[in-house]
Amino acid sequence: MTSVSNAVRRPLRAIAIYAVLLLAAVVTLGPFLLSAMTAFKTPEQFAQQSSLAPPNPWTLGNLANILTGPADFGRAIGVTVLVAVFLVVFQLLFSILAAYAFARVEFPGRDALFWVYLSTLMVPAVVIVIPLYLMMTQLGLRNTFWGLVLPFAFGSPYAIFLLREYFRGIPQDLIDAARLDGANTLDILVEVVVPLSRPIIATLVLITAVSQWNNFMWPLVITSGNNWRTVTVATASLQSQFNGNWTLVMAATTLALVPLVALFLVFQKQIVQSVAITGFK
Amino acid sequence: MTARAHRRRNALTGYALLAPSLFGLTCFLLFPVLVVLWLSFQQWDLISPARFVGLANYVSVLSDPIFGNSLLVTLVFVLIVIPIQTGLGLLAASLLTRGLPGSTILRTIYVLPWICAPLALGVVWNWIFAPTGGALNAILGTRIEWLTDPNLALPAVCAVVIWTNVGYVTLFFMAGLLNIPAHILEAAKLDGAGAVAMFWRIKLPLLRPTMFFVLVTSLISTFQIFDQVYALTGGGPDHRTDLVASHIYSEAFQLFDLGRAAVMAVVLLVILVAVTVAQQLYFRRRTTYDLSV
Repeated sequence: MTSVSNAVRRPLRAIAIYAVLLLAAVVTLGPFLLSAMTAFKTPEQFAQQSSLAPPNPWTLGNLANILTGPADFGRAIGVTVLVAVFLVVFQLLFSILAAYAFARVEFPGRDALFWVYLSTLMVPAVVIVIPLYLMMTQLGLRNTFWGLVLPFAFGSPYAIFLLREYFRGIPQDLIDAARLDGANTLDILVEVVVPLSRPIIATLVLITAVSQWNNFMWPLVITSGNNWRTVTVATASLQSQFNGNWTLVMAATTLALVPLVALFLVFQKQIVQSVAITGFK
Repeated sequence: MTARAHRRRNALTGYALLAPSLFGLTCFLLFPVLVVLWLSFQQWDLISPARFVGLANYVSVLSDPIFGNSLLVTLVFVLIVIPIQTGLGLLAASLLTRGLPGSTILRTIYVLPWICAPLALGVVWNWIFAPTGGALNAILGTRIEWLTDPNLALPAVCAVVIWTNVGYVTLFFMAGLLNIPAHILEAAKLDGAGAVAMFWRIKLPLLRPTMFFVLVTSLISTFQIFDQVYALTGGGPDHRTDLVASHIYSEAFQLFDLGRAAVMAVVLLVILVAVTVAQQLYFRRRTTYDLSV
């Protein structure tokens, strides 16, 4: 490659480029590392030494305090995992059904309906949060598990859009062959379409799980108190409750961020690809 | 099976498959938009019953200097964030596509903030900006009130959002740059194009579709920023960081003026629909370069 030989011919230039790129990497990772360090410091050390000093001694006290103390972060983690798993399963299931209909079944009004589905992507979250709050309150679902998940359980227009694109790439021959063998639509979905669509489904599992873990505005609006609040809501309320008590607050952000960083380390290739395909939000 | 029976069967299958998502979409997306429209003509504080007030909420919101300020702050925010994150993303992408070893790892590092909870990152940055015990002041040896100084708060929120988004933008520009066929670059080089001319005259014009996609998606998402503002400033000091999504939230859930909040939501919806429609129109007759030759 010419670009490599360029770099070799001009080592000074390569060094300058690395300097810029490494500085950017330090700026990117710095906040993660500094906040995690703070989470492992004793409040005494935090008060007395520079906030850049490494923990000495290391303590798990802050983490233990918010996980089991009155903040009950452990419960928030449980609730968030439950919500994420529930929505991964149902959103994906119903999105797959709809996407298959749009991709492979001929029925009147299909294209118009698809256009309606797509146009809902323009509606910002903050616009529908107000009516959804009123509706869930009317149904008596405020501060319940169902209040958290119901509005999002029946599929996501974005997932439907991505799955439809993918399903359209599956050779019609395979579907016809299965139909000749007597398979009905459900059989075809389970035995042909879903197995062939593993990459996009894996992408959507990752996206849905991550975006539910990160979701903030809806859980903030629909929950109150400790019972059904999610990790992000618990983090926000810890911040206002323990204002200035940074070792505790950073313990909360560390708990909120560690699963994401871990997921990122394990699935970095898939996640980077997913971001490139979908934008991830 | 006759053709007609076949068609009917297909229609049944189609609607059966769509039923759950159609139910969800109607109840939790389309109906709520209608409710917002209805609400915008009501006066309601959630305690006394809702009362029809005609256009009073529209008059009150559209003549409210605080809402005008919120729109202006959002516009300034967008005008700061988008050019800077696009420029930095473009720079990072052009440095990362030179075949230097380690480029893949660096790219991965830059994307990390994009997938992390914006609320949690906002709280982390709240600590970094803290006047006492905060990391930034410790690094600089200062005691600056980053988030409560009226002149610094908005730039600080902008910096956090740019920090979150640059990796995402970089990724798309990298893909765009790697898609430029080598023979075009070779030809330009043979014609004597230097690195600067190569970037401005060849690469940047060829990146136009990518650029457009990145600009539109960032525009739409930047207009809706909420979590970071909630964690960093809550809209203050003195409404200096009162981005429109955050303003709508507090109007609805802190002041409980649902009618006015609904009007603001309608305004935001109209703005975003206009952006999307403009993008579609532009896309239909944009210039593209045929790279297949």
